[in-house]
Amino acid sequence: MSSATLDGAPIAIEEAYAHAARLLSEAKFPLIAGLGADAAGARAAILLAERLRGAYDHLASDAILADLDTMRGFTLFTTTPNEARLRGDVILFVGPGLSEQWPTLFERLALEKTVHFQNGAPRKVFWLGPKRGEGKIDGVEVEVIPATAEALPHTLAALRARTAGRPVAMAAAATKKLDAVGEALRSAKFGVAVWSGSSIDQLTVEALQGLLSDLNATTRFTGVPIGARSAGATVTQVSGWMTGFPPRTGFGRGYPEHDPWRFEATRLVDSGEADAALWISAYDGEGPGWDGEIPTVTLAPKGAKKPAQGLFIEVGRPGEAHDALELTQEIASFALRKATAPSDAPSVATALAAIGAKISEDAAC
Amino acid sequence: MLTLLQGGHVIDPATGRNEIGDVYFEDGRIVAKPDGRKPDVTHDVSGHYVMAGAIDIHSHIAGGNVNTARLLLPEMHRAIRARLAGTPLSTAKWSTYETGRLYAQMGFTTVIEPAVAPHHSLQAHLEFADMPIIDVGGLTVLGNDDFMLSMLRAGENPSALNDYVARTVTSTRTLGLKCINPGGVEGFKENMRVFGLDDVVPFYGVTSRQIVQALQKSTQAVGIHHPLHLHMNNLRIAGNIDTALATIDAAQGLPMHLAHVQFYAYGKEGKHAFSSAGAQFAEKVNANKNVSVDVGQVMFSETVTVSSDVLKQFNSLSGAIPKKGAIFDGDANGGGIVPYAYKISNYYNAVQWAAGLELFLLIDDPHQVFFTTDHPNGGPFTTYPELFALLMSADLRAQWLSRLPAEALEATTLPSIKREYTLYEIAVMSRSGPAKLYGFTDRGQLGAGAVADIAVYKQQRDRAGMFRKAALVFKDGELVVKDGEVSHYKQGKTLYTAPKFDKAIDKRLDRYYEDLYGLPRTIFDLPQAALPNHDAFAEVSCRS
Repeated sequence: MSSATLDGAPIAIEEAYAHAARLLSEAKFPLIAGLGADAAGARAAILLAERLRGAYDHLASDAILADLDTMRGFTLFTTTPNEARLRGDVILFVGPGLSEQWPTLFERLALEKTVHFQNGAPRKVFWLGPKRGEGKIDGVEVEVIPATAEALPHTLAALRARTAGRPVAMAAAATKKLDAVGEALRSAKFGVAVWSGSSIDQLTVEALQGLLSDLNATTRFTGVPIGARSAGATVTQVSGWMTGFPPRTGFGRGYPEHDPWRFEATRLVDSGEADAALWISAYDGEGPGWDGEIPTVTLAPKGAKKPAQGLFIEVGRPGEAHDALELTQEIASFALRKATAPSDAPSVATALAAIGAKISEDAAC
Repeated sequence: MLTLLQGGHVIDPATGRNEIGDVYFEDGRIVAKPDGRKPDVTHDVSGHYVMAGAIDIHSHIAGGNVNTARLLLPEMHRAIRARLAGTPLSTAKWSTYETGRLYAQMGFTTVIEPAVAPHHSLQAHLEFADMPIIDVGGLTVLGNDDFMLSMLRAGENPSALNDYVARTVTSTRTLGLKCINPGGVEGFKENMRVFGLDDVVPFYGVTSRQIVQALQKSTQAVGIHHPLHLHMNNLRIAGNIDTALATIDAAQGLPMHLAHVQFYAYGKEGKHAFSSAGAQFAEKVNANKNVSVDVGQVMFSETVTVSSDVLKQFNSLSGAIPKKGAIFDGDANGGGIVPYAYKISNYYNAVQWAAGLELFLLIDDPHQVFFTTDHPNGGPFTTYPELFALLMSADLRAQWLSRLPAEALEATTLPSIKREYTLYEIAVMSRSGPAKLYGFTDRGQLGAGAVADIAVYKQQRDRAGMFRKAALVFKDGELVVKDGEVSHYKQGKTLYTAPKFDKAIDKRLDRYYEDLYGLPRTIFDLPQAALPNHDAFAEVSCRS
């Protein structure tokens, strides 16, 4: 059975849905945020935001936009983990914490194996700016190019410059090392950079893509992005076909408008522009990042910290409590994740359908 | 409920009707005039044309590449007005919802998305599920995938390839097979920057020609109605008419559909070494009845090119307008997304525009040539009404020709062509022809038993205006458009075909995926039961 609480006290689930519906439909500008949900949950949330003429944002939009702003402002070269595994002869990891964000990263890329599509050619693996101790992979020789988080953008820029034969203001020894790396990158037949928008910022992603763009003038070099947490890639895709835009989109005028500043959840709450929030975090129960107080409905899984104030509705974890369609990091594609521990806790989509059913069709539009 | 459309000008090439008359339908199907029964509802459609719902045979409306295009260009599709009641997200530009609405308003009731990547079919189907009103179908892309290329390299018995083709089409729930720059996309991963019909794919030792012929034969052997749908090599390169003519010869008289052929109708004449070869191409099509084509007409507009021909798209990046793009090396084909603007003042664009119209006007049989803009590659599908108007009026074409750069007029035969399409021919090209091409027996026509997908257009001299806003559209007998506006949504169907195959191929693929990718094959299978519209699939039978 699902459980719900209002200001910390248990409440019947139907009452919880009715309370949520009232709170959201009476708001002038409701916000749907967090959005940690599977495809069905994201779809239901966006339809609800449209109906309420509210806005929606994802809890990892900064990471999502690091890649997306690079694409829509510059260009993005990408490939699948499968191609990286089978064809990538030079692998360039960029930034810290990659294996934390994608725990099966090394297993999936199988870097200890030779390159299948190049008749078993050996691989070269570089890691620019790993965390301490992170640049060690079983059975793989990794050449680390050390860089702190602050230094990484500079080192990457220098690497791009040296790879293109341009001068840099660096010590001779450091320059020589970058030259050797640049030579290896240029000699790649099908190189693959691996990065995460969660650990490097947008300008650094753009610098990396600039390097890939340069390399593709003479050889092939592409990239595998690690998607943002709480199904960021899934939600971005669903949002894309439903509204044409990624999260940070609002329906105040009755049609979608996308503005990464205007519809940023924390700003909307802290500025007081939003007057009610629906916080969805079905994967790990991560809480909102805002300081301001706002009447909130929270959808989160079992074990999540229940807020002392506001309405809390327990939902099932996607892919655990119920089957889920998600854009899967392993294959860079949508796939079905079967429930590993089925429960009768409602999914996000189910809960939102129940809430939506209690909102009059006349509420908006 | 028996409905009568009374006194309209019925144009229905499938039944040969071209007359003032009535159309009856009941329970979602067209019926013959019932004896002794009065209709429950009568629409007076005098002064209107009555046709079957139109079918678009090639339009990129769904899937990962299309979605990347949406996300790449937020500035290109700002919404401007709120929706009507009962139509959520219908004014969200470029959304799946808007796509369904806009097609319906033009009287289109079936649309084919021609590039479903096998490993990404789930996303295409999720987008289909969110496309209201219209029925949709896909074509599955093969020809740059390792499994197939390895089969050809090993010289396997064609029956194994047949099983693979049938299994892939069946499991991805589409209507047939598409092949996109066969071998060329794989070659691009090996750093090849051009790839022709007789170039050899590195590592596999097979040519594009061999891939095309093998897939063409398999498509026929397993009974898929739609012939192999081919995006040839060397798209949008001066002089690529040679590739096109050689490809038609390579078809060896077997059925083949060539996609967006305007992009291959280029010679090297003139001081820009770029000219229209539309006339030459049309002549070849006229002489080869086994071949059908869609045009991929260029319409002057800002648009975005979306293609699984990654090699070509990479080469286009430097000419992107605005200067950005996305290049995705997929498990097989992948995709390239490059924005572009076709300008009437641009010599090359003007020649492209003219070449497309030459193809339309010089191919004699409207069953062999289909209107498309290869949406969005030559222009958005919303320009079809303008395109139909151009085909129907030599005067209108002359007006446009007068605005083209003078030197472009020397690179095309278009000014000398006076042919004007009749409405009947437009109906062949947009209704009965597409139905025949895909093996649809229940649509593209107004004969008794067909689904009651019907478009009614108010007769007017402004042909573009007429086609832009249908007066009435019925989908499965339900009124969905009135005076050019969608009044409410209904769930359309997803059409698919299911050729038979020997199940032994599954075991082989299980091993292949496990050995190569270290993944269970089933991760890529379409989980139809998990789709929100899982009960809205309709099978199109194979040829027996």
